[in-house]
Amino acid sequence: MNLDWSVVWRNAGALVDGTELTVALAVLTMLIAVPGGIVLALMRLSGSRLLTGASASFVELFRNLPLILVIYTAYYVMPIAIGVAFSPFVTGLVALSLNVSAYNGETFRAGIGSIRKGQSEAAFALGMSRWQAMREVVLPQAARRVLPVLASTWVSLFKDTSLVSVIAVGELAYTAMRIRSQTFRVLEMLTAMAAIYWALGYPQAKLVDWLHRRLGVSE
Amino acid sequence: MSDGHRQPISAPPVLVYRGVRKLFGDFVALSDVSMEVRKEQVVCLIGPSGSGKSTLLRCTNGLELIDGGEIRLDGEALPRDWNGMRRVRQRMGMVFQNFELFPHKTVLGNVTAGPMTVLRMRRKDAEARAMALLDKVGLADKTHSYPAALSGGQQQRVAIARALAMEPTVMLFDEPTSALDPETIGEVLNVMKRLAEEGMTMIVVTHEMTFARRVADWVVVFERGTVIEQGPPEQIFDAPLVARTREFLSHLGWAG
Repeated sequence: MNLDWSVVWRNAGALVDGTELTVALAVLTMLIAVPGGIVLALMRLSGSRLLTGASASFVELFRNLPLILVIYTAYYVMPIAIGVAFSPFVTGLVALSLNVSAYNGETFRAGIGSIRKGQSEAAFALGMSRWQAMREVVLPQAARRVLPVLASTWVSLFKDTSLVSVIAVGELAYTAMRIRSQTFRVLEMLTAMAAIYWALGYPQAKLVDWLHRRLGVSE
Repeated sequence: MSDGHRQPISAPPVLVYRGVRKLFGDFVALSDVSMEVRKEQVVCLIGPSGSGKSTLLRCTNGLELIDGGEIRLDGEALPRDWNGMRRVRQRMGMVFQNFELFPHKTVLGNVTAGPMTVLRMRRKDAEARAMALLDKVGLADKTHSYPAALSGGQQQRVAIARALAMEPTVMLFDEPTSALDPETIGEVLNVMKRLAEEGMTMIVVTHEMTFARRVADWVVVFERGTVIEQGPPEQIFDAPLVARTREFLSHLGWAG
């Protein structure tokens, strides 16, 4: 078998662009899904039956559907159902945000639930409102416990962004596959793609391990 | 009158409890509790574990809502709703058995949390107030430490300063020394004693009988959710009228 690695260098520009889009997609998804997760968790813990039910339904729906199905559905059904057609990038962003928000919602719910009741009582005893106690006392402590889990979710998300290639978002996976089909250099492009994902993912995974060690067990 | 601060019984009542009742499901936690706390008085609540002392404190600042009877603060019945209670809580300081300092905030951050968040006080003013209070509880040198770096006794003194920062009219102490190592109990009791001497109105749930005997103006004995006896400390500790009070005290090894 003869391999021609020059195809990788000749297309380096496109691969860099694809990588940038992958990073952008992951960052934007997390920027939406962290507040999204907090809102879902606060709704779930609000005590209002309506809000709790809405949040639980959302979480259980999107947590238990395959992400690729959500992506396809967003792409084909959203334009018909709500009459707006977003670009593939925005559509992919919506699908990823729905999925990751659901996961983050559960993460934050567990994090908030792990803070002792006495902590909010101490805040209430000072005269704080429920929201002030949440903001000043509970959320900052929950964030610390939640951070390692969020970091794990981030690492999964970084790789899962490749799934939006099915709706022609020009991120790294899509770009590599496109070059492959134009040049028929399958092994070279798969290797290049693997190398880029791994080189970006490995330090992130190490960072997560470090966060777990650093924050995971401390009270 | 060993400490020279005891208030005459004619001082105006700050808190009045009349027939207070509290249920947890079917369990009667408090039944027909009546007592008064007068201005600048120290009232100690004693009795076996689970007899309702802590529950009465938690009902006083609305962490629990009562099911019957009434509690009056400065002549006004406590509101039964959350937002009403929130305003009342700002006038009551509470110190918990397990300190419940905020672990993510420094000592200074803990003491300024109430004034800055609830009273919207400027940082500079809140910190000045906090520094004065930390000085008072003997922890001015720990301002920038985190709670985890402090001993139990130090943490509880910070918790007292945190409660005082709201300038409460009443301080509620819920077994403040029960979670402490024996060697740090004294430093917390000393701070409380000084507070009492300065004229703070205090309700103290405690198992420290020596403290109650020396500092209290009035002692209330609880058993199974009711008050079985109340009176000045000389009566409770030296000549209790009720046999169960005597039994409880001798159980603790109190010899008078």
